Amino acid sequence: MSDYRKTKLIVPVTRRRVLQGAAAAGALGLAGLRPAWAQEPEKPKEMIVRVWGGVWEEAITEGVSKPFTEMTGIAIRNDLTEDNELQPKLWAAVDGGQTPPVHINWDTSTNAAKSALHGAAVDLGDLKGLDVLLPAAKPAGFDGWPMVNAYTYAYVLAYSDAAFPDGAPDSWQVLLDPKYKGRIALYDDGIGFHPVAQVAGGGKVEDIPDNMQPAWDFIAKLKEQAPLLGEDPDFTNWFQQGQIDLACTILSNAREAKMNGIKVSWTVPKEGCKLDTDALWVPKNPAENEVYWAKKYVEYAITAEAQQKWTAKLGLPPVYPGLTPPADLVGDIAYPTKPEDFDRFIRVPTNVLVEHEKEWFEKFNEIMQG
Amino acid sequence: MMDMKATNIPISWRLLDAAEALASRLWPTSMRRFTGWLLLSPAFLLVFVLVAGLVLIAGYSLHELDTSTYRLKADYTLENYADIVAKPTYWKYIGRSLLAALIVTVVTVTLAFPYAYVMVRTRSPLLRKLLLISLFLPFFIGQVVRAYGWLILLGNQGLLNVAFGWIGLGPFNMIANYGAVIVGLVQFMLPFAALLLAPAIVAIHEEMELASESLGANWLRTLWHVTLPMAKPGLIAASVVVFTLTLTDFAMPEILGGGTTDFIANGIYDAFFQLSDKGFGSALSIILVALGSLLVALIFALAGAGTLSFIAEKRK
Repeated sequence: MSDYRKTKLIVPVTRRRVLQGAAAAGALGLAGLRPAWAQEPEKPKEMIVRVWGGVWEEAITEGVSKPFTEMTGIAIRNDLTEDNELQPKLWAAVDGGQTPPVHINWDTSTNAAKSALHGAAVDLGDLKGLDVLLPAAKPAGFDGWPMVNAYTYAYVLAYSDAAFPDGAPDSWQVLLDPKYKGRIALYDDGIGFHPVAQVAGGGKVEDIPDNMQPAWDFIAKLKEQAPLLGEDPDFTNWFQQGQIDLACTILSNAREAKMNGIKVSWTVPKEGCKLDTDALWVPKNPAENEVYWAKKYVEYAITAEAQQKWTAKLGLPPVYPGLTPPADLVGDIAYPTKPEDFDRFIRVPTNVLVEHEKEWFEKFNEIMQG
Repeated sequence: MMDMKATNIPISWRLLDAAEALASRLWPTSMRRFTGWLLLSPAFLLVFVLVAGLVLIAGYSLHELDTSTYRLKADYTLENYADIVAKPTYWKYIGRSLLAALIVTVVTVTLAFPYAYVMVRTRSPLLRKLLLISLFLPFFIGQVVRAYGWLILLGNQGLLNVAFGWIGLGPFNMIANYGAVIVGLVQFMLPFAALLLAPAIVAIHEEMELASESLGANWLRTLWHVTLPMAKPGLIAASVVVFTLTLTDFAMPEILGGGTTDFIANGIYDAFFQLSDKGFGSALSIILVALGSLLVALIFALAGAGTLSFIAEKRK
């Protein structure tokens, strides 16, 4: 039986209570349940989790938050503030000794690592179930577990079916085809694209981050194609409006658009796609009982049950091994399950991203704003 | 003489008496000479908060980011400012913002003047009401919603391109460019400009225009030599407000610019939230405040403060 079914029994001891307790224990024993006398901290009425919107919010709500609430009675409220916008507020709260605005932050692993370096994260090394997870779950470059990576995801090449009736383009070079001028989209800081541009520009993955010139040369050529730069909701809007034919976007967004009737597909071109992870972490400073239950939330999120539902809805490979992929993604090139599947993806260590992402974003901006 | 029994005293008088009694208790007669300062205190508080915030930001701007801890380094330095000066991207942000501010000011004031003029001078109460309502209605819809409205109108499958399609033209790429940002900003700023011009036009007696016409000037000469010069205070006020609001705008370039026509405000946002660099973002903010303040001070020095000074100009 799950630990989350234990009930709190911290009450004043009187003769009446002892008799009532004994009767309750007898009743529970008859029902075949184990009475719980464990001194767990008081449960908060509510906890706040920062989430991304759309399919991301639906996935974590159905897969993690609702079952957690059913098991513990703690209501979960979603905070839709963008991860980048919440970060300075979290850091300011932690630095100022104040209660942070969220109990659990669902964040990119890179951002989570920055927060860990800042000293804002609670160590999660005592959570149950960490040892059964895939190696990708452990944050690289840290002694403990300031965060837990929850799943992997790829920045795929999404394309409009109408623009590619003969099938998927096989190379990122398609972005330079003059036919698609003004009809391609990237994230506004180039996230997910820099390592891919490195290879597409004739460079090597091994040269990241020491020599990124091939990436900048490729992006400079791409600038001539007048790409649209935006965020997740913009991509869906642009595909829907027929504004774009190609985009470098996360698999979940392309899949969600397809499931909503937009005629879009995706591929992993021969140069590869960047593979990354997202993480859950708990900010410091809430009351002790809230930190305890926030950690329990994360502990639940990495169980097989939660991982199956949550990541299936997102269409992303979980860090819990041996789970069943969603039916529509079985054999999908962008959903790696076997070790050899991962060979066609480009992985940049989190510590390299943390150290260099700022200069990559600035360089990308410099080229695109020119 | 009126019978002033207690039962005859109106309720409104009683309430006012009670309010006066309470005020006398809270603010006794000995403090009356400070009443002016009391009324000014909320404004002082607001200005103090603004100044305190600017001082904090100026302080942050003198520290670089340490990427091993993502905290600002303890040493004071001008490196953030040196970085801004050295990187062409930020000159582009500044140039783009200034040019947009200039274009939007000229276009908006040119369009707003006839609107405000008709609204003030029309004999028809219905037309005046219609123009006033049309002016205020956009304020009920935020800037972000209006920007998305332009996306729907100007998008590849938007209303305009659909109309062009009916006559065998297009589709044309009308968003995600500088032009779209300018159009969005002009539409947003129009009500501000019209509202600032209207009082200046009200202050021009109609008899002045009639006198000019009676002396043989046609409407164009009257407009150029009489109406416009007398509306100068309103023109200055409208120009200053539109210029500064455009210079500091975030939403229109963000939504209509396609990510490649950022203004300074977008650069500041990216510095704080994308690059997690509070020091760099603060330096950009100080530069924006300094630039805006300098330009407004220059305009006031050359042309006066217009209706923003709340002082009637002496007729020469």
